[in-house]
Amino acid sequence: MPVKPITDDIDKAILNLIQSDFPMEQRPFTCISDTLAPEIKIGEAEIIQRVKRLKKDGIIRRIGGNFSPDRLGFVSTLCAARVDEQHLKRFAETVNQFPGITHNYIRENKYNVWFTIIAPSRKHIEDILSSIREKTGITDLMNLPATRVFKVRAHFKLPTGDTAA
Amino acid sequence: MPTKLEKKIIAAIQGDMPVTKRPYLEIAKRLDLTEETVLEVLRDLNNRGVIRRFGVTLKHQNSGFRANAMVAWRVDEARVEAVGGIMAAHQAVSHCYRRDPMEQWPYNLYTMIHSTDEAGCKKIAESLSTQTGVDDYAVLFSRKELKKTSMQYFEDEID
Repeated sequence: MPVKPITDDIDKAILNLIQSDFPMEQRPFTCISDTLAPEIKIGEAEIIQRVKRLKKDGIIRRIGGNFSPDRLGFVSTLCAARVDEQHLKRFAETVNQFPGITHNYIRENKYNVWFTIIAPSRKHIEDILSSIREKTGITDLMNLPATRVFKVRAHFKLPTGDTAA
Repeated sequence: MPTKLEKKIIAAIQGDMPVTKRPYLEIAKRLDLTEETVLEVLRDLNNRGVIRRFGVTLKHQNSGFRANAMVAWRVDEARVEAVGGIMAAHQAVSHCYRRDPMEQWPYNLYTMIHSTDEAGCKKIAESLSTQTGVDDYAVLFSRKELKKTSMQYFEDEID
């Protein structure tokens, strides 16, 4: 898909407002309109139009909640595998079938496949990894759960106007 | 653990919310609840940190941060707390975790770094290295996205 950069400063201002704190109010888009800088005079209807367009253009992936797995009684981990070129496709297909595997990337390293798992327990994660080993024959597979979290953030402040870096 | 009501609402807002004047009313109708109940439960989940972030998820490649790199660092265990703190404070670092090292993979600290291009990611890694004195690290650029989804919790709770 072609990359469409976000060029409009009002779009950026709206996105900066609603990446972390989409209003939990009856009329969220009215709240957004009230919170925008006073020089941006757009109302609820226009904000809805803009957000719809940003979704249609593929700039917004989704609007919703993101959770701490541990607060919902789930555990998570990062895994890495060393997979040779000819087994890559089959390995990726096998891994991607598990609903708890939410992210999976090919990375430039001898450990070339990196994926995350969210599951109800450590035992579930071990079972998923055993099943992957069994189905693919790939055994150089590391399970790297976090032992300490220093930072988790998924908010990207979009530079607007003269502040663009 | 979340209550049955909380699970129902979590399952309803973990996907994509409707873009309408009253999205919570639509969600409430679907769940056979009142708008007020949905909002109360959401605010409570948010205040308690069960909801980590509530809002828009952007496609990275469209947000100007086109490149990202996972950087794995080999840090002296005695310094992990201090180094992790310094790295986490950098605004280009979105995620920072300690993980146990493996025999074949000696790294124990991980950061996700975002920049406009790969050269930018490398520069940030170099600067973090200089700042912390940790000079053994691997920069892992992503070459292909094989899967990227949101976890679907409690899907069977909706009906």
